[in-house]
Amino acid sequence: MAGSAEFFRMGARALREGLAAREFSAHEVAAASLARVRAVDGSVHAFLETTEQLAFKAADRVDAAVAAGELDACGPLAGVPVAFKDNMNLVGTHTTCSSRMLANYVSPYTATCVSRVIEAGGIPLGKLNMDEFAFGSSTETSAFGPTKNPWDLSRVPGGSSGGSAAAVAAGLAAVTLGSDTGGSIRQPGSFCGLVAVKPTYGVVSRYGVVAFGSSLDQVGPFARSVEDAAYALNALAGRDALDCTSQDVRCDFTENLAQGVRGMRVGVVPAFMEAQGLAPEVKAKVEEAAERLRGLGAELVEVDLPNAQAAMSAYYVLGPCEAFSNLTRFDSVRYGYCDPGHADLGGQYEASRAKGFGPEARRRIMLGSYLLSAGVYETYYYPAQQVRTLITQDYVRAFERVDCILAPVAPRTAFRFGEVSDPTEMYLSDMFTISINIAGNGGMSMPVGLGADTNLPVGVQLISPQFKDENMLRVAAALEAVYGPAPIAPLFCEGKTPEAPAAIPDAADAVPGVDLPGLATAGAPSAAPTKRVPHEPNSPVGCSRESGLSERPGAAEGAPAQVEKAGE
Amino acid sequence: MTQHLTERDVRGIAEYTRIGLTDDEVAQMTADLNAIVDSLKPITEYDLEGVEPTFHPIGSLSNVMREDAERPGFSQEEALENAPRQQDGSFLIPSILGDGGDR
Amino acid sequence: MRKLEEVLKDWEAVIGLEIHAELTTLDTKMFCGCKLEFGAEPNTHTCPVCLGLPGALPVPNRAAIESIVLAGLATNCDIEKHSMFYRKTYMYPDMSKNFQTTQGPVAFCMRGHLDLDVDGPAAKERVDLDGLEVGESRGNVTRTADGYVAHVGITRIHMEEDAGKMVHVGGGEGRIAGATHSLVDYNRAGTPLTELVTEPDLRTPEEARLFMQKLRQIYLAIGISDCSMEEGSMRCDGNVSLRRRGSKEFGVKTELKNMNSFKNLHDGLAYEICRQAEVLEEGGQIYQETRHWDPSAKRTIVMRVKETADDYRLFPEPDLAPYNLTDEFIEGVRAKLPELPDQKADRFERDFGLSAYDARHLVEHRATAAFFEECMGLAGADAAKLAKPVANLVINDVTAWLNADAGARLEESPLTPARAVKLMRLVAEDAISSKQAKEVFAAVLDEDADPAAIVEARGMRQVSDAGAIEAVVDAVLAANPDKVEQYRGGKTGLIGFFVGQCMKQTRGQGNPKVINELLAKKLG
Repeated sequence: MAGSAEFFRMGARALREGLAAREFSAHEVAAASLARVRAVDGSVHAFLETTEQLAFKAADRVDAAVAAGELDACGPLAGVPVAFKDNMNLVGTHTTCSSRMLANYVSPYTATCVSRVIEAGGIPLGKLNMDEFAFGSSTETSAFGPTKNPWDLSRVPGGSSGGSAAAVAAGLAAVTLGSDTGGSIRQPGSFCGLVAVKPTYGVVSRYGVVAFGSSLDQVGPFARSVEDAAYALNALAGRDALDCTSQDVRCDFTENLAQGVRGMRVGVVPAFMEAQGLAPEVKAKVEEAAERLRGLGAELVEVDLPNAQAAMSAYYVLGPCEAFSNLTRFDSVRYGYCDPGHADLGGQYEASRAKGFGPEARRRIMLGSYLLSAGVYETYYYPAQQVRTLITQDYVRAFERVDCILAPVAPRTAFRFGEVSDPTEMYLSDMFTISINIAGNGGMSMPVGLGADTNLPVGVQLISPQFKDENMLRVAAALEAVYGPAPIAPLFCEGKTPEAPAAIPDAADAVPGVDLPGLATAGAPSAAPTKRVPHEPNSPVGCSRESGLSERPGAAEGAPAQVEKAGE
Repeated sequence: MTQHLTERDVRGIAEYTRIGLTDDEVAQMTADLNAIVDSLKPITEYDLEGVEPTFHPIGSLSNVMREDAERPGFSQEEALENAPRQQDGSFLIPSILGDGGDR
Repeated sequence: MRKLEEVLKDWEAVIGLEIHAELTTLDTKMFCGCKLEFGAEPNTHTCPVCLGLPGALPVPNRAAIESIVLAGLATNCDIEKHSMFYRKTYMYPDMSKNFQTTQGPVAFCMRGHLDLDVDGPAAKERVDLDGLEVGESRGNVTRTADGYVAHVGITRIHMEEDAGKMVHVGGGEGRIAGATHSLVDYNRAGTPLTELVTEPDLRTPEEARLFMQKLRQIYLAIGISDCSMEEGSMRCDGNVSLRRRGSKEFGVKTELKNMNSFKNLHDGLAYEICRQAEVLEEGGQIYQETRHWDPSAKRTIVMRVKETADDYRLFPEPDLAPYNLTDEFIEGVRAKLPELPDQKADRFERDFGLSAYDARHLVEHRATAAFFEECMGLAGADAAKLAKPVANLVINDVTAWLNADAGARLEESPLTPARAVKLMRLVAEDAISSKQAKEVFAAVLDEDADPAAIVEARGMRQVSDAGAIEAVVDAVLAANPDKVEQYRGGKTGLIGFFVGQCMKQTRGQGNPKVINELLAKKLG
């Protein structure tokens, strides 16, 4: 019988085998995982909320399946501790997008990706920190304080899915979900040394995931092994009647992981390798990975993406335009922050939106509104969509010659808090990832060890043709065989884990007795929620990373101080 | 740097997007937006003659529809669960014309 | 202010309409599976999508797309195979996402038209047709024997979604002005809504009214909406501007709202035309503004001034796939197209020998057309003979009765087609006079009885026997020698007196035709 201390190291296969052999129960996994989150997350601040009741209900379901000898029916994530970026609705939990605007919003419905992971046997531990509305590359714009990189607590975990990355890197969950609009899964995946997959646009339903850029957003998993990421994709992928853009993907993503890369053609993009700002240690790692793949029998082919350099400006047109439109619904009428005491709606609107949104959200909204205005639309938005055609064609042409492309993820390893304060420098975090969102292809970050200069994790990016995500997973598995699975950050390995208990709010305070999604009626909660009493911010958010114990600030007077950061 | 937007433009956008900004914030926002718009210049310099735009990233996607069949929705209580203010089963808002505006 | 007829002599009104119709006959909303139901408790038909919750996504209702294509085919539109939904962003509390999902430059239906038959008093508002011969055309108008036909272009019909409903509290009569707060109900939010936009081809309020009426007939015939103007499932806004007769340039237009009945549509436009004329004649200026028709005060009041064109930041909706309608889809919809009112009128003319006028007015309401058709079925071999009298009964008496009572429904009235045919047979067979027929018609409705039974019970049989009537005529003439003398002396107006006396003697049952003939013979 494995000691409970070992659960946090386990992936889906080990957990399944242990459950099948009745070495432990899913309930024990849930209890140990929640205990670890509470004991450790104080130093990371990955979690915004735990979901204890849901975790135990999900565990009980798995245990019942084991007892009935039907573990296989449970799905690919049976007993796997999972957690979700806080822009994913889960009925009865807060879904804040790390914004003051939604600090007290309780989801009355569940995102398809969330319910699919839970239906696949995942044990939901809670909701994870992020950049506000996913606008950022460092998780520093969260209204609830930043998340720290488990590899070096003085550094950012990347963003916007920083909480999702940090939770897996710190061994707080085996699989988490993030969303990626311009690099928000892959860049934190690289910074935290994880397998982090942004599937092809359309592979995973976006229903219930709070939208940033509707034509760019895609949900994907963080994991410490390619196999776990593939299991998660098996649970996530496929048509959802509630999302018009979701596609019928019938594929076992684990199927060809063991096939190796012999005979595969892997593209390298010379322009990417020569890009200004690419740190030598990162460049060296990408070149090393390329050589390893060649050594394993892959053919390296140089490919050209002549229009990729336009991706950045196209992205900073399309992203804000879609974000502006998606964020107009936050108006203080049906949900969200409502500034009190206004006799007229206009005043309530303007105060609520000014105080509810952080500076970067306000900037994106106003930028998008400007770019879509009459006369300006033709100058930026329309050309950006034409550029998108060119970039898409670049990838189509490249993938006529190769099965997968190898590239850097981020130009450098994780930076220190406050180190990157210039928005345009922050935007450069995404220089290698953005074009993939523009074209809609699949892309992932694969850890290849530590950088020679910073001794911090470096990821390489693998890019797939549209709806051929299995290609990049196959290459990733070959790299994993060389470099080994992604480690838990050394600070958080057994014996070394810093004691930093966190007083994380639990969703049960919001909605007692809520049922698991998929068991309850879809789209409707089973219990009336009791409102969470707003937490007073105990300190300005900018300082809360020092305290390590930040709670969700509530709707107090005046907007909380925010760390001004921009980028994805 | 090119002046793409004036403070007056920014005030107009703030009014349209219903974000109340102080004078200082308007000045800062004007500077920020001008800097960002300036950085978007490459998009205006591309030769895009005859290039079709891609509004939807999945090229083959068309005609996605559902059947005219009812799905369970919210009860009144659920619908109002997150309402900042409510009355008689409805969402309550202060006077619409209070600021002299209307549709 | 001058009267409309006077104003229109000097000024030409240029009118365009925007007509919204909710697809009330569907089961669910445009982009979600919430039930469509008018008058439910507030916020009981909502879900994440129509409440605009964060993360919710729209999925279009296939039946709504079929309905709008049907509407396009019925109004002579080109069906555009390639179109997209767009987001039209403006913050207003009844719109849950704060953007309306609608269509962009290309709508499902483009470039249609309807031909309006304008006749009778309605044609009188058109004062610029002097000198036009029957069959001759000028502009979009062609002269007919009893009026004219106006060819009215339809710019487009596009698909969109309706907003929620608001109740304004604290102000007068539920008005928004002066309200302290408002209550928002999103049951209606997301209701499939079609918007038809006409070309500025209409020139009189009557033409506008007839266009709306004709469109309503068509929508009812194809079954896409209940078209209730009272409940707001069919709504009309008008754009109107004036220009001097003979001028080619357009004047500044105002947009008119709240014309929620045919009468209000006509009267609102008529008022606005007269108001604009007065302003212009006094040297004033028309401002581009939205005005509200107040039917009780009988005037339009300004709602808001549009200084610049609205900028709604329209862009293609990324959450919805574009449309690429196949021929198969379009032909599948075309196969569902029922007989349209114009086609029905043509058939009535052809099959039953009706005048164009009668046929046109019979099909104005689905109920009257169906009633007439059923009557013709029951008339069997006599259909040709009874067509005209039955048509008259329906167009005059039945329509007047329907108009007099808003709640009246022909389908549920005591006047069944069988009774109507019986009644008109009694007239055709000279059993009762047409004057008596009116009395019997009223009695059928009042007493829910058979016409023959009413005639029997009231002893109303018409006496047409010449021998019997001759005796009465002789008696009347014998009793009034002085009047006979005066008549023969040239006072022919006395004929009415003699007829009246004869009718009195026959207790109203003498056949007036026979009486007249006999009197003429004997006095002549």
